[in-house]
Amino acid sequence: MKAIELIREFLHERLAADPAAVVPEAALADLGVDSLMMLELMFEFEDRFAIKLESDLKAPQTVGELATLMEALIAQQSAHSDSTP
Amino acid sequence: MTVRRVAITGLGLVSPYAPGEGLDDFFHRLCAGESAVRHLLTDDQPRPLNMPFVSCPDFDPDMALGKPLASMMDRFAQLGMAAAFSAWDDAGLSRQSGEENRDSWGCSWGTALGGTLAYEKGYRELWQKGRERLSPLAVVLGMNNAANAHISIQLGLGGVSMSHTVACASSAVAIGEAFRRVRSGEAQVMLTGGSDVPQAYGVARAWEALRVLAPGNAETSAQACRPFSSERRGLVLGEGGAALVLEEWEHAVARGARIYGEIAGYGTSCDHSHLVKPEAAGQVRALRAALADAGLTVADVDYVNAHGTATAEGDPVEIEALRQVFGPHAATLAVSASKSMHGHLLGAAGAIEAIVTVLALRQQIAPPTAHLDALDPACAGVEHLTQASARPLRAALSNSFAFGGSNAVLALRAAS
Repeated sequence: MKAIELIREFLHERLAADPAAVVPEAALADLGVDSLMMLELMFEFEDRFAIKLESDLKAPQTVGELATLMEALIAQQSAHSDSTP
Repeated sequence: MTVRRVAITGLGLVSPYAPGEGLDDFFHRLCAGESAVRHLLTDDQPRPLNMPFVSCPDFDPDMALGKPLASMMDRFAQLGMAAAFSAWDDAGLSRQSGEENRDSWGCSWGTALGGTLAYEKGYRELWQKGRERLSPLAVVLGMNNAANAHISIQLGLGGVSMSHTVACASSAVAIGEAFRRVRSGEAQVMLTGGSDVPQAYGVARAWEALRVLAPGNAETSAQACRPFSSERRGLVLGEGGAALVLEEWEHAVARGARIYGEIAGYGTSCDHSHLVKPEAAGQVRALRAALADAGLTVADVDYVNAHGTATAEGDPVEIEALRQVFGPHAATLAVSASKSMHGHLLGAAGAIEAIVTVLALRQQIAPPTAHLDALDPACAGVEHLTQASARPLRAALSNSFAFGGSNAVLALRAAS
């Protein structure tokens, strides 16, 4: 699943956010994501992709920034699992 | 010191009968002797919960609170928030603070169990499902002050925000402490009440082990809770949320608020003798303290909403305490235990019963004790109401006597 779709799904499920409003340039705060909800989102993301985010990660401000961050980590993760026998 | 009067200007609850139905429906059903107790049978393995219980099965947190807010709360806070919104709307107050300064307005909430369900969910995830981590939200879902914190945020209350955990007297204490703040002038308005969710598996099983729960199946559960009856078999647990808006009298009058009634006094005591065996002497002290605080004599009190849980030990002790305090007036003192119908909501019990008491004063009708066909002689000596009774009600008491020996009595007056 593409990162932005996961974000859409999560924000719809948790905050009843309109999926059409979850576009790359949208500010996460405007969609109702506060610091607690961001922690929960990160948790869900870690869980889904079996990865661990750095604890000093700079919090993304927009949907696009979050999606980019997630895609980079997903790519790292799949590269890692490809190299594992 | 200026003594201020404390008006009750808003009432709200998540009805155990039919969510969405209002206070009138709730009180009407109580007066008709209708039980909200049902048989609870869960799918827990290997041993389901199997007991009479009162739940709010049609309560939809997403509908009541909106999804973003509901998703940040455990069920005890959802029930509390829904009751608080409903009381606030009922009081005709706006949810946004607007022009008015709410820096002294506060929230005083009662809960015996707090976010126990959130922690229990965590244990299930870790121990049953083999997960290695928990959601970071578990902390803010589970904390005991979650309900009052959400309420203060949602209603813009800048004064004290606190929770009281005093077992079955939690919300009676919360209401009493809120009352004192308004009377002293510290707070102009206090949102108060309580909420609890005793269907947490470990909690319900522990109560069962204590051998104080009434048995019942699909056919018999509705009649399972029989306070003061010689056939009583124990209490019935229930979930719920109930809230009241307390307001400085002149403030309420100035804004043209409807005044349901008045909280006039509050008395507390501790039996200081035993964790679970109640003692009349301790209850007598709380009853007398509430009357003195309210400036009432026993001749002024026309109704008592009893703690009346339907345990073998508790009921006769409470009646003994009333006999001692009311003396020759006891025989004509109207007493009923509404727990026979709405069950024992633990930390929300005092709040739902305060609502029952103020509605009785408002409508001048005392609700009955249901299923009281055979009075236990040990509980005789007061006028037990087995049918709703329309009569002049000037003042009333609501008793809450908790495990731990903590006693709290609220004294209420009809609006005048």
